[in-house]
Amino acid sequence: MHKVWLIARREYLERVTTRAFIVSTVLIPVLMGGFVFGSSFLDRKSSSSSAHIAIASTDTQFALDLQREIESTPATKDAKDIKIQADVISPPGHDIRGILEQELDDKSLDGYLWIAPATNSDHLTFTFTPASNNRGALRNTVAAALRTVLLRQQLSQEGVRSGEVATLTQPVTIAQGKHTPKSSTGVAYILFFLMYMVVMLYGMNVARSIIEEKTSRVFEVLLATIRPEEMMAGKILGVGSVGLTQIAVWMLAAGLISATPLASSLASGDMAIAVTIPQMLFFILYFVFGFLLYSSMAAALGAMTNSEQELQQLNMFLVMPLAFCMLMLPVVTNDPNSFWSRVVSLIPFCSPLLMNFRISLHMPQPWEIALSFVLMSITIYAVLWVASRIYRVGVLMYGKRPNLPEILRWLKYS
Amino acid sequence: MPIVELQHVRKVYDTKVAVDNMSFTIEPGTMFGLLGPNGSGKTSTIRMMIGITVPDSGTVQLFGQPFDRKNLKRVGYLPEERGLYKKMKVMDQLIFLGQLHGLDATVAHKRAHDWCERLQITDAIYKRTEDLSKGMQQKIQFISTLLHEPDLIIMDEPFSGLDPVNASLLQDTLIELRTQGRSILFSTHRMDQVEKMCDHICLIHNGKQVLSGTMQQIKAEYPVNRVQLTFSGDDSFLRHPSILSAKNYNGQAEIILHDGADAQELLAFAITHARITRFEVTAPTLEEIFIEKITNKSPENPIGDIVHA
Repeated sequence: MHKVWLIARREYLERVTTRAFIVSTVLIPVLMGGFVFGSSFLDRKSSSSSAHIAIASTDTQFALDLQREIESTPATKDAKDIKIQADVISPPGHDIRGILEQELDDKSLDGYLWIAPATNSDHLTFTFTPASNNRGALRNTVAAALRTVLLRQQLSQEGVRSGEVATLTQPVTIAQGKHTPKSSTGVAYILFFLMYMVVMLYGMNVARSIIEEKTSRVFEVLLATIRPEEMMAGKILGVGSVGLTQIAVWMLAAGLISATPLASSLASGDMAIAVTIPQMLFFILYFVFGFLLYSSMAAALGAMTNSEQELQQLNMFLVMPLAFCMLMLPVVTNDPNSFWSRVVSLIPFCSPLLMNFRISLHMPQPWEIALSFVLMSITIYAVLWVASRIYRVGVLMYGKRPNLPEILRWLKYS
Repeated sequence: MPIVELQHVRKVYDTKVAVDNMSFTIEPGTMFGLLGPNGSGKTSTIRMMIGITVPDSGTVQLFGQPFDRKNLKRVGYLPEERGLYKKMKVMDQLIFLGQLHGLDATVAHKRAHDWCERLQITDAIYKRTEDLSKGMQQKIQFISTLLHEPDLIIMDEPFSGLDPVNASLLQDTLIELRTQGRSILFSTHRMDQVEKMCDHICLIHNGKQVLSGTMQQIKAEYPVNRVQLTFSGDDSFLRHPSILSAKNYNGQAEIILHDGADAQELLAFAITHARITRFEVTAPTLEEIFIEKITNKSPENPIGDIVHA
């Protein structure tokens, strides 16, 4: 056991200090953080918190009332206040409409309200022209203020006392409640591809490190003191711990980002990017199992080949099950609890990706999760058994790549 | 109690017989030479001795006990194919390999330092292995074999690829280790090295033992019937009746005498014909014995098959 630990520690230390590891460990959270903050920044930019409008009316008193009302009303869009500044132009001159249009074009005005008496009654007509069509919040604010002013006018005409008018026309504020969605497709996809990436990356790292030792012939020296099984175990543990370290850093970063007020304000919107604790835990668990499964296959592949090029030809054995998972994504997104979703997510080679994906989408039955771990454990045991036999013989074989009958014969060597 | 004892060991890879009916013993404090051309089964034999592979039949005993992995701590193995971690610093590497042999880090560090001083590579200690020359790397590999002070040192082609200065440095080190009582087995296809260093040899060819015994025994079996002669002038004396065969390399003659022929007679005859500057009577070299053995055993095998280095 001591030797397994030595091998694992060497492997770990060598990998953790490489530039590639440090860069990828830091870069991914930075990109994630940049994405979150960047998008929230853009979001804020697009809904600028102040607006400037003009009210053009022949009825000066009405225009002033409306101005007071608008400037005192907080807008209600997403609990963010829009400070509206309103100018009154009363009475409007002949060419004022052209000037206002001009001001909309050069963006010094966000919109203007044109109030004119109706031709055949004493009612008024209102036309609100915003600078761009996506200022719905602004239009709603103006409309609400108009309604209040008109109502107040009506009420005082009916003889209601001004105090009662004020009470009746008090604006209603609705506080924005918070609801963090349990399942977010966005997070599920991000986790799926992250898992795909790390399982593939670290699986291949095991194979590569074996080939490296094979080409540098360190094996011969090591095999004089330790068993091939111990070496393989040390290698898988070492590389796996590197993967776990990286994921831990990422998850920690994701946790920190999710904890910031910016991210939680985003999470309450349409695009939730917050990763929940159970999602993180399941991700780590499924990574451990997925890594063990794929890395022991990779170890066998590494032992069979002599160079990276040869490994490239064989790595379809790793890529195919992973690609299959990707193909099954639509089936699972369509209905995470359908019969076929259940079946594919229980295939041991797919569980790390698909069961984990289902957990992010919609928590499956506990027995399904338990069963997936049992099936994976059995498969890992079987794959390790075969891989360690191939490994034992393969690491000492140089030269020509073995064919299938030869590999089968290796399994029988003791 | 012999350090290593092989009895009727046999190993077959698929259809190729790598080692067949191999038996020998290595006594404590001796230097044992395992000789044979490339591909003759030297490395396969060594691998079975240290449990990298298991013999199909026959037995291997280390330190008087049936094979047991825990005895491997007392063995130092330098494989033919050198291997070190390229990216690791030399000292880290030596400590790591020392720890694998059961040393703790501080002891390994100290010994590694001492050895580096002894082999004159102290300035390489904190460099990365890949930045070193091949000869340096070989010395480091050599040190890693000896760090844990093994009782049995196994070296597969230890001198290949070394310049003469370093080769003799390592040779001297090995001889010193033997005087300390360590047993050393080394394999080589260079017979000339073995003659000087080994107490005991085993010649193998195509996985079979051709010749085995102490150097004295083997040499005694062969008559002293070789003459090395340097001359100038007429070479007609090379047709003297005492001569079985002679090769003349431009004034350097290599002569094999008939059994029982007297070299003095030849010398007296030669003086009358040519000017002799050197005349030496020797036993056949190991290489000659080896070639003779193989050509006798399998005449269909042309001598050209035997690799000279």
